[in-house]
Amino acid sequence: METNGSGASPIDEHLRAELRAIVGENAIVQRTSELKVYECDGWTIEKSRPDLLVMPRTTAEVSAVLKALHKRKIAFVPRGAGTGLSGGALPIQAPVMICTSRMNRILAIDLANRRVEVESGVVNLHVSNAVKADGYFYAPDPSSQMACTIGGNIAENSGGPHTLKYGVTTNHVLAVELVLPDGGIVELGGPVEDRWGYDLVGALIGAEGTAGIVTRATLKLLREPEARQTLLAIFPDVESATRAVSATIAAGIIPGAIEMMDRLIIRAVEAAFHIGLPDDAEAVLIIELDGLAAGMDERLVRVCELVRGCGAREIRIARDEAERANIWQGRKRAFGAVGRLAPNYATQDGVVPRTRLPQILRAIAAIAEHYRLRIGNVFHAGDGNIHPIVLYDERDPDEVRRAIEAGRDILKACVQLGGSLSGEHGIGAEKIQEMPLLFSPDDLMVMTELRRVFDPDGRSNPNKIIPTPGACVEVTTPHRQAAL
Amino acid sequence: MQAEHETERHPALRAATELSAIIGADRLRTPEGREALAADLIVEPRNADELSKIVFKCEVDGITLAPLGGARTLAEIRRTHVTLGVSLARMSRIVDYEPEDMTVTAEAGITLGALNQALAANRQHLPLDPPDPSSVTIGALIGASKAGPLRLTEGGVRDLMIGVRFVGHGGRIVRGGGRVVKNVTGYDLMKVMSGSFGTLGVVIEATFKVRPMPERYTIAMLSCRDPATAFEAAARIHDALPLIHLEVASPGIAQNLGVARDRFGVIVGFCGNRAEIDYQSDKIRALAGDAEVEVVRLASALRLYQRLRDFTLPVPGISARIATLPASLHRSLQDCAAEFCAHAGCGVAELFMPGELAADEAAKLVARWREVAAVARGHLRLLSAPPAIRGGLDFFGAPGDGVLALSRRLKAAFDPVGIFNPGCFIGGI
Repeated sequence: METNGSGASPIDEHLRAELRAIVGENAIVQRTSELKVYECDGWTIEKSRPDLLVMPRTTAEVSAVLKALHKRKIAFVPRGAGTGLSGGALPIQAPVMICTSRMNRILAIDLANRRVEVESGVVNLHVSNAVKADGYFYAPDPSSQMACTIGGNIAENSGGPHTLKYGVTTNHVLAVELVLPDGGIVELGGPVEDRWGYDLVGALIGAEGTAGIVTRATLKLLREPEARQTLLAIFPDVESATRAVSATIAAGIIPGAIEMMDRLIIRAVEAAFHIGLPDDAEAVLIIELDGLAAGMDERLVRVCELVRGCGAREIRIARDEAERANIWQGRKRAFGAVGRLAPNYATQDGVVPRTRLPQILRAIAAIAEHYRLRIGNVFHAGDGNIHPIVLYDERDPDEVRRAIEAGRDILKACVQLGGSLSGEHGIGAEKIQEMPLLFSPDDLMVMTELRRVFDPDGRSNPNKIIPTPGACVEVTTPHRQAAL
Repeated sequence: MQAEHETERHPALRAATELSAIIGADRLRTPEGREALAADLIVEPRNADELSKIVFKCEVDGITLAPLGGARTLAEIRRTHVTLGVSLARMSRIVDYEPEDMTVTAEAGITLGALNQALAANRQHLPLDPPDPSSVTIGALIGASKAGPLRLTEGGVRDLMIGVRFVGHGGRIVRGGGRVVKNVTGYDLMKVMSGSFGTLGVVIEATFKVRPMPERYTIAMLSCRDPATAFEAAARIHDALPLIHLEVASPGIAQNLGVARDRFGVIVGFCGNRAEIDYQSDKIRALAGDAEVEVVRLASALRLYQRLRDFTLPVPGISARIATLPASLHRSLQDCAAEFCAHAGCGVAELFMPGELAADEAAKLVARWREVAAVARGHLRLLSAPPAIRGGLDFFGAPGDGVLALSRRLKAAFDPVGIFNPGCFIGGI
């Protein structure tokens, strides 16, 4: 497959030489065998190799690379660590991939102002690790935080378990340095709290790399809460677990996190990590309270009452940091545990209003039965952000087809329940066809116009987010076939 | 003959005649009160479709328009009138409120006060608190990104708005976001519209995350002899406790609020269960140094909070909002030499210079304040100035060239004809 579906490669020797001069020989990957690593991100159903990969180390290099591409009208796709789950870093008619992972310096830590300035290739967890000893943290904590980059988080507006209370990436980014698709460098936002003029930083976050390449960012830090209590509640059915979520929040208590796992996931986690989850549990909730130590006991008692009142048959409270880590290990590594159940899985990321969780879980069960698939659920219950995990075997073309169709049906069900297509993974290539379920042609046109403000020629990560008639027919179908 | 002549001279009269034919004369009226400072004629559409027709017509004929809620923001900053002020007084319903989901969808004409009254039944609120919420519409809240003391913990409009509908270019009715609290489906039009001062279209509906009301709301008031003591105490307390707001007020304002006399006041808002309130009260006393501390609870605390939230410049003069790095705010405010109310944890403060200022004095003062903000890597926005001296004042200041170019492209993309509240935003947009 050449130039990811766009015909003959536009990359000639002149361009190769120019790029070599900018970033150096060892920052370019062009052998097919080496490029195979980059043919997909965490969304593995579709695959497509870039013709060339560039790994710049500085803003100036990014700018020079983009100028070289701009001169030739060549499209590109930005990539961080490639942990995205919606095919955001899949090149579709984008011959050049630009990977930011070598721009990985933390530039400045300013604890007095609770700010940190980083290059975009810095790994999410490294930010919190750098300030942890001083009692601060960076709030967005996606499950991939050990690998994913801040640049990728900005592209996808990433969340994580603790965003119920603390917000998602867009709530924590004050400023970015952006290299526009024409190579121009622009500073958006600033280190101060009050935004001024159009919120271009806000417009850019979640734009999935369609506005150019972010090279630096100024992030807000939060103070570590004085105390935490983590509890695990075991329920005889999913509905009573979802009721417990609503009851807790309705009582005015916003936990740091509320996560749910269903039976399939519980069994997979138990098989993998032996954390002592009962084999016959239908649902477990992990609830983490954080705040002042002074009032924690009273709050914990209140939450336990509420949760028990909703039908929890057992509540385990972590007595120390080791037990807390043990509870979280089950959740954070649920995806890895599921990997033992089937050769492949696809994760969905729909959202419903929290009160519609019982309905969407029933709908998912029916969809699983209809398509003869196993689907597990592990998700951020506090925000109604579901993560059904559809198990399949990529060697079985019919099962792949059923997995894709089941995923679409789940998203349709989310929309019908007043929800949305993606809570934190992004639209990418995966859900592009579903956008019209939610948005009118006028809505999509305005979004296209917004995109063109940053990228008038549509060369930065083309064929993402907004469906275009040409791209659907020419590109996506062959790729899906290629993946089958 | 006479009437025809008049309509030719006055775009407003011509617009009135033509708009009457499209949406009915009863939707049009003359401006009242503050509206007269910003618009020649007021239209009150009843629904999105009527507004869509109005916008379409305005675009065809090049009639300028601006959304006016309580007409507070634009009446303070417009130098010239737009032809048409759009009042959404007839579009002020709560469309959908799910207390358990903690989301609310409302039309933009409802006031923040009315919205919060409805939410209070479930002990919830939209925690955005500019002065006098009963006269701030949701549309104005979004357009001017208004916030108050609660910004410390709850952020601003951009952090709470999860869905938006607006009437834009060509009369298109456009929707972004949704009614779920976590959503990355499509471009974030909520961010684009918030703080855009009506320059990109007219917001008609928005969905917000709401929050539980604080439990056992309590205020500690510190009275400090000098600003350094006040800001240092504020910083220590902010570092130690999860506060809900934190203000430092200069003596004139502290006195006006009843917090301190001839001294600097620190106003610390916090909440929690009984054990947490006791702990925090003790901790604040311990961290206050030699400042006097008084703790007020419940209804008294709420009354003080309302005075703090609603404080505005009582006499003619100039007010501005400065934003700096939080640790630099104290120094910057000293350099500005004005009365202030500082949201100390956020690095944001309102500055007040009372009295009648000549135009050139005012311009010099604003330029000096702006210089102070720039030194602290921040900026300054003028909030209000008497109409007589407005002409020579720059309300927003100029962003860098790159940002300005992108801003102009955004404006051109959303408003190619240039009818939406032209000429009073950054860079003359």
